[in-house]
Amino acid sequence: MKPVIDKRLCKGCNVCVYICPKKCYSRGADISEMGYYAAVASATEKCYNHKREGKLICELCVLSCPDQAISWHPETEEDLKK
Amino acid sequence: MEIFDFYRKDRWPHVFCPGCGNGTVMNCFYRAFSELDLPLERTAFVGGIGCSSRIPLYISSDALHTTHGRAIAFATGLRLSKPDLKVVVFTGDGDLGAIGGNHFINGCRRNVDMTVICINNNIYGMTGGQASITTPHDFLSTTTPFGNKEYPFDLAELAVAAGANYVARWTTRHVHELTKSIKTALQKKGFAFVEVISQCPTNFGRRNKMADPTQMLEWFKESSVRRDKVRTAAVDHFDLNMAGQITIGEFVDRNRECYEELIGVEKHG
Repeated sequence: MKPVIDKRLCKGCNVCVYICPKKCYSRGADISEMGYYAAVASATEKCYNHKREGKLICELCVLSCPDQAISWHPETEEDLKK
Repeated sequence: MEIFDFYRKDRWPHVFCPGCGNGTVMNCFYRAFSELDLPLERTAFVGGIGCSSRIPLYISSDALHTTHGRAIAFATGLRLSKPDLKVVVFTGDGDLGAIGGNHFINGCRRNVDMTVICINNNIYGMTGGQASITTPHDFLSTTTPFGNKEYPFDLAELAVAAGANYVARWTTRHVHELTKSIKTALQKKGFAFVEVISQCPTNFGRRNKMADPTQMLEWFKESSVRRDKVRTAAVDHFDLNMAGQITIGEFVDRNRECYEELIGVEKHG
């Protein structure tokens, strides 16, 4: 599973950038349509749950996100090649 | 249950500031509630006044928004008139400890069957950052510009002394432990109290050199000490200075007789 940030919900607090032990997230460079610098899930292949067939080992970012913006999605073909 | 079946999606994004700890507590509460598989329609949520007391209004269930500090008094009445209903109270430090302090200690003493989740952000966040009863010693706020000269209340120890059945304290940095504690509290018969030390970057952090929520989370991580590793006297636990410590962990887990059993309220409905 890979984490996906909903740009309409993210308020750019960067808690996910701080809390992720594998540094999957990075600070956003562009202003989202809601007017915040939304964080980006830039390195999802480093995530603990990458290629685990749906098993969730670490959920620190999903539990910590104050705006419920992060959710788990199955990897695409492209993600599995990484 | 998906997270937006539990919460009202049409109310999103919520009103809390970027980086507010209330959202983290909402995640942990949703996780604990859905893992226990409790019926949402047989649960009532009660909130007082304050940022954290807005959480019941975001849950797609029955919610009661009460007067300032009286959330536990309203919840007691609700619980005794509908004994088959599960009652969960969301409250803040100013609501529970300052204005509703008497209701809180008497709720603990009576041991009414309810779960109380207190989100303690060390400040009156909604009204502009005045010093509250839990503002740590020597910290700045709008009403204490030269540092708070008072010492804070220790709400968890207060609940233990007043007779609550389950008391735990965690911070928003300890999400897994907090989820587990909320789960235990929801299953507990009697007064279960979970205190969450939460970050308020807007009104607490900004005046205390921690304007970024991640700096506050780092502060929680560095200054929190597990209760089983603490050897100091009970009065020194919640010193919470810059050089001090936040004692976290489960404070008490006991099975005192609850108020419904003592007065013999029969289950109906």
